[in-house]
Amino acid sequence: MSQQKRKPIFWLLGKSGAYAVLILGLVATLLPFFYIMVSSLKTEAELRKTPPDFFPAAPTLKHYEAILTDTRIPLARNLANSVFVSLSRVVITLFTSSFAGFIFAKYHFKGKNLAFGLILVQIMIPFQVVMIPNYLLVVKLGMIDSLLALIIPAMVDAYGIFMMKQFIEAMPTELMDAARIDGSSEFGIYWRIILPQLGPPLASLGIFTFMGTWNDYLWPLIVLTSPENRTIPLLLVWFQTQHVSNQGLVLAASILTLLPIFLVYIFLQRWIVDQATQSAFK
Amino acid sequence: MTALSVLKKGATYGGKLMAKQRRFAYASLVPILIYMGVFSLFPILWAFVLGFFSYTPIREGSWFLGLGGQNPFVGLDNYIELFFGNGKPAEVFRIAMGNTFLFTAMVVPLNLAITLPLSVILESINDKVKTVFRAIYFLPTISSSIALVIIWSYMYAPGWGLLSQIFKLVGLVPPKSWLQDPNALYMGIPLAMICVVVAHVWQDFGYNLVIFVAALQSIPKTLREAARIDGANAFQEFWYVIVPLLSRTILLASVLTMISSLQVFVIFQLLTRGGPKNQTQTMLLSIYENAFRFANNLGLSAAMSMILFIIILVLTVVQFRLLRTEWEY
Repeated sequence: MSQQKRKPIFWLLGKSGAYAVLILGLVATLLPFFYIMVSSLKTEAELRKTPPDFFPAAPTLKHYEAILTDTRIPLARNLANSVFVSLSRVVITLFTSSFAGFIFAKYHFKGKNLAFGLILVQIMIPFQVVMIPNYLLVVKLGMIDSLLALIIPAMVDAYGIFMMKQFIEAMPTELMDAARIDGSSEFGIYWRIILPQLGPPLASLGIFTFMGTWNDYLWPLIVLTSPENRTIPLLLVWFQTQHVSNQGLVLAASILTLLPIFLVYIFLQRWIVDQATQSAFK
Repeated sequence: MTALSVLKKGATYGGKLMAKQRRFAYASLVPILIYMGVFSLFPILWAFVLGFFSYTPIREGSWFLGLGGQNPFVGLDNYIELFFGNGKPAEVFRIAMGNTFLFTAMVVPLNLAITLPLSVILESINDKVKTVFRAIYFLPTISSSIALVIIWSYMYAPGWGLLSQIFKLVGLVPPKSWLQDPNALYMGIPLAMICVVVAHVWQDFGYNLVIFVAALQSIPKTLREAARIDGANAFQEFWYVIVPLLSRTILLASVLTMISSLQVFVIFQLLTRGGPKNQTQTMLLSIYENAFRFANNLGLSAAMSMILFIIILVLTVVQFRLLRTEWEY
């Protein structure tokens, strides 16, 4: 590599210095995960040992076994709750966002700017502010301790509408007009012409809605009470309070919670990071 | 003749078509707007109104949202109580406001001090390796925050926890208790708060990192090359070329980080539970505890959430303005 082309930062640190910093950051990022994963393979006696060893002498999967076979933990039920709520919210949000985005992008009518202004206002309202009235509303609607309380108040995503409108505005109108001449209904235009072109933004909105719902904790904590209605984050917190003295179980449970998202992430990491970067600027 | 040119001429046929489209637009949008009215606009107004009442759901009120009757209108009393009163919730809330600002004031610079230099280094390496590093740095941000809190409670475990072990390894004396000693202060800042800041920045730095890497890629190479040809060293290039060119992105990232720092909940509720002695009590935790754990006067909690809202709103307006400014190198 010629002197001219050398990257500037290498002048200060040298190439190996740059990598040293990056690897230090890598270790700092991964060490907590790794520490917990390794510790979850220790026996209870090893976990209590002082000073502790970093690696287990004889790794064991018994904590994982204990969790997965314990019939007192409504694991399957809670997992199903999380899947049901997350998928419902993804499907509903994708539909309402793209459909409303389509109307705002491609139709002219009185009051459009006012209506869109109201949607922009929603983006600025943080959840914490409407948390108390939303709770009172859910009580009035009789949805307390029901999974519906996680879905019904979250069917329209203002940010999603905003994002979809931007994408649909860039699409040519000629195809729509051609479809109208061929006798297509207005909804048919949305369903057969607009929606098939929305793959990438729908995927992006879908994955973030899914992860947001999957990891959501505060709202489920407020509205859900019975054990069988819990979602995975609530189950993990409950499990932790139940097994304060049995660390291995709690560690294994944390790893089990992290694992599914990690597996998805391995395949989609490049795309997820790119989407997250872009959404910060919209 | 295409439908488009018909529409442009405003012929009768086109007029009918337009009317049909308008009807479709209204019919589609009205349910969505009504829905948003019920679940977003109405609650925000409700929260605002609630802040002027002394309200508990179990007390008998009027037909209108249960306000009035045994849930009387108290004017600005809730706000006066929060800022000047002697009640326990108000006292804790004032501490919480200070802590929330302290937390934000620590998180933002620490985050930038890590992500800015790291992004410059990351941007300078080979593309394939870069993708791998970027993906791993981003890992904590996509993880379940509950699991991360459990991880950090083990990192901070007194005595045998990993951090204590690392401290001993490098010859430092670890604190007896990382999260529970109210007398452990460093430069006047409670140790527990420092620990929460570290854990939070660890969990959150990936966002700003990938944002900065993307922004760096959009800086014209010629500008950086020109600085180098003029004899700037790496630090000068970073400080006098990169940082000014990224100033808008840095500002935007700072505002976004501030907004998200004000809304952190899980780590405060589960790692430190606001303790020791309210040293890590935050505004959001106060709102939650008063409204849902102690089931106090919800009017007071609503007033707290309006105060938090106004702070976030101001920052959001700044954010929107930043996004709207056109920028040219």
